[in-house]
Amino acid sequence: MERRRFLELSASGLAGLLAARLAARSAPARAASRRGPAPRARACIVLWCNGGPSHVDTWDPKPGAPFRALRTRAPAIEICEHLPRVAAEAHRLAIVRSLSSREGNHDRAQFLLHTGYAPNPTVAYPSLGAWVSEELGAGGADLPGFVSISGPSAGAGFLGVAHGPFVIPNPSQPPQNLAYPSRVDFVRFARRRSALETLEQGFANETGDARVQARRDLLGKAIRIMYSTRLRAFDLQEEPDSVRAAYGDTDFGRGCLLARRLVEAGVRFVEVVLDGWDTHQNNFERTKRLMGTLDPALATLLAELFERDLLRSTLVLCLGEFGRTPSINANEGRDHYPGAFSAVLAGGGIRGGLVHGATDEAGGKVVTPPVAVADLFATCASLLGLDPALTMRAPGGRPVALTDNGKPLHDLIESS
Amino acid sequence: MPSSLLIRLLLVALAPAPVHARLAPADIDRRVRTEWRRQHLVPAPPVDDARFLRRLWLDLAGVIPPPEAVTAFLADRAPGKRARAVEQLLESPRYADHFTQLWENLLLGRQAPGGVVDRLAFREWLHAQFADNRPWDKLVYALVSATGVNSDGGLRNANPRQAVRAAVLSASSPEPAASAPDANKNGAVNWLLKYTQNPPDLAGAVARTFLGVNIQCAQCHDHPMEKWKQDDFRRFTAAFVRTAPMPIDEGQAMGIRRVALRDLPAPVALGPKKSELGEIVAAHPTALDGTDLLAAPGGPRRALAAWITASENPWFARATVNRMWAHLTGRGFVEPIDDFRRSNPAVMPELLDRLAVDFIASGYDLKQLIRTICATEAYQRSSARTRDLERATRHFARHPLRPLAPNALLDSIAQATGLEAALHKQAPANLERVKAQLLSQLTFLFDVDEEPRTSSFEGTIPQALLFMNGILVNAGASALPSSTLERVLALPGGDLEKVAALCVCTLSRPPSAAESARWVVYVQAPHEVVKRPPAPAATADPLDRAAARLRLPEPTAKQQAYEDLFWALLNSSEFFFNH
Repeated sequence: MERRRFLELSASGLAGLLAARLAARSAPARAASRRGPAPRARACIVLWCNGGPSHVDTWDPKPGAPFRALRTRAPAIEICEHLPRVAAEAHRLAIVRSLSSREGNHDRAQFLLHTGYAPNPTVAYPSLGAWVSEELGAGGADLPGFVSISGPSAGAGFLGVAHGPFVIPNPSQPPQNLAYPSRVDFVRFARRRSALETLEQGFANETGDARVQARRDLLGKAIRIMYSTRLRAFDLQEEPDSVRAAYGDTDFGRGCLLARRLVEAGVRFVEVVLDGWDTHQNNFERTKRLMGTLDPALATLLAELFERDLLRSTLVLCLGEFGRTPSINANEGRDHYPGAFSAVLAGGGIRGGLVHGATDEAGGKVVTPPVAVADLFATCASLLGLDPALTMRAPGGRPVALTDNGKPLHDLIESS
Repeated sequence: MPSSLLIRLLLVALAPAPVHARLAPADIDRRVRTEWRRQHLVPAPPVDDARFLRRLWLDLAGVIPPPEAVTAFLADRAPGKRARAVEQLLESPRYADHFTQLWENLLLGRQAPGGVVDRLAFREWLHAQFADNRPWDKLVYALVSATGVNSDGGLRNANPRQAVRAAVLSASSPEPAASAPDANKNGAVNWLLKYTQNPPDLAGAVARTFLGVNIQCAQCHDHPMEKWKQDDFRRFTAAFVRTAPMPIDEGQAMGIRRVALRDLPAPVALGPKKSELGEIVAAHPTALDGTDLLAAPGGPRRALAAWITASENPWFARATVNRMWAHLTGRGFVEPIDDFRRSNPAVMPELLDRLAVDFIASGYDLKQLIRTICATEAYQRSSARTRDLERATRHFARHPLRPLAPNALLDSIAQATGLEAALHKQAPANLERVKAQLLSQLTFLFDVDEEPRTSSFEGTIPQALLFMNGILVNAGASALPSSTLERVLALPGGDLEKVAALCVCTLSRPPSAAESARWVVYVQAPHEVVKRPPAPAATADPLDRAAARLRLPEPTAKQQAYEDLFWALLNSSEFFFNH
């Protein structure tokens, strides 16, 4: 928004002014301006369990199952025995055990759990991170608003590439290509940019196309990152060995540590991916191993955010695209199961130590009113100060709301 | 006599034109113009010669035209030069190379699945099809019904890095086979082998890719609005569960494992997800219109291939025409191109139907379809600003902007900068490795999905940083021996000529008078040389090391000014988009 106004002011002459106006018109526009709820969280960290974690072997343990249930620091919560460190932080958790969707295909379900909508070929729905980036901006000013670690996440859809995820393939490696190439300095880079800006202005005038403007915004963001004073957030070596060890010697552990540092630097939305939960074979061995990675990382993240007084303002969410069948297949595996699955929330205004909803004895059926993905999104959006019904007009004029008629789960939200 | 002749002539004139009469580009233009009038759209002006040529090269060859081609085309004063340019490209090896690459990416995805999927064998098969202009129905029939041996085996294509490397190699120069070819070898099976453990994805891909129908959402649930039910999807998928790969190489073979893909008399479920396939295995193979696929001899997969490619199939020709129209004009009649359904109507549906009829009548001749579309006004609109831009673009009254695909972008940067020639000179042994690294870096930065469903991908911040600060553009924009900039700086004449040459090499057009004047001032403006810092950081970059090894003379201020202009041209949206 700021940038657009700046462009209108600085564009020289009537043609430039017209170009900026035209570009603004075909870009997505807010359909109705409504004030969101008072924000409880200023940032959100999503720990994405890619592949669909078995809910009954993690957050929704069942008697008689191969893994035992473990009592936790929260009287109302029992979780899997292989999450002992998280159990010690369970008083911070709200576990939703009654999520239910109809998408049992990875791509479609991943899309649903990232955007709040089932894929629809005619609308490019933005992911939640993109909404946050668009609405709340980059809290770190010159860092991107939305960072995805170890995974490609989901894009910004019609909100435009400038709000898409800044992907960090490997948390141990700082982002590439941030330094000038050899024999280029500040002055020379500015000369290059001025030539580029002239070319872009010309092409924008010639075509009147919003895509040119979207690309200019993207380049502008990239350049601001180059000059950011907060890039040291990417340097995990600044952390003491003991802290790094506490998160676990895994990429996911390092990703969670990086997420904490990025949130401290002002980034609004960070997603960290832990892949491998698609356990059609050897479900128990593999799920146990994955919990061995998840447990120290999530527990340390929560403890550290609390110690640094960031947990109050940081919403942490841990989930995957669906659950897995209560029945065990011939390969000691479990198959896709969107009918019932769990999500874990903490911090950012979440009331800790509670369980919302329940499944039957086997874990195959939600026996309380089912929670739609849209409701989970509405809960997160509300905590971040966004109206779940916030509506933008996608190019072509179609109004699209932040959530698909989602209603926040009020019992999860701490009274302020 | 004259009167009877007159009557006969009249009768001929009044008789309805037979439906299979060839559809001329002018007929299409007439229909499109009628629609523009009806919609009160003011079309963008026709595209000029230089921009036409660039678009055509990107669409048919996957790369921007070399500067010589631009100059020759602009100098050509004979009529019909646009049609001739289409013909030349269709007859050049670049056409088959490019379409092979497009379809290889579409069908196999960008990842090398490895194991039993021999990417090179599949590519060779595809390349032979496009080089022969094999009728599209024959090609698709052969693909969907394929049986036979996947590979000659051996070490080639053994690891993913080599596979990526192979992807950058020109498809027309395959590596020699490692062992004697198998008489039953059929590279086409490699696409099916990608899916042997996942028939639902294969069924979804077949319907989407060749029929433009998205039935896979019915895999999990009945679609609320559309007619596809879960049962339809299962019965369609059931056509693919009577096929299995039989191992040829025993034990731990090196590289690609050879298998023979065969049809079986009874259905089987394979792979880790077989427990989910029960209902599919039990379903009766049936085409989407209810045609029984089990009754036909030869097995349900062949029956399905025949049903898909039959001239009566209501989707096949339309979906193909729509895909090709979208590939060329930037938008399909139906968008997204693989989502034909009643609640997603086509624009100008009669024209789509007419083109489909013509495509069938031509014997599913892809080149003829391309020739026709490229000759239309719709293809030859400029991307200039219009009133009501979105709607004009949707009705082909203005050419949309499309980001170049990763391969096209890499090849175009190599073309514009002369980087390939420069690399060849510096490090011929490393050339393919360097290119493969660049491509994988580029592809990673582009890809959100393995098989992107949308073309709306203007890039990411890491990608923007790569182009602004990365070695690819910066080495490319420098005056290495044999590079474009070295050649441009050596041109006779002054800055005016050099600026114009740089513009032709990147934007494939001469600069306007105003642009020439501006860029001449730009390169002549006084400034200081920026030197390399005294102790250059140790870098693993082969290009940088090569430049250091050559001990190139320190660049002059003027040379750096040209590098800056070159850098800006390569980073510009006019370069980045197909427009």
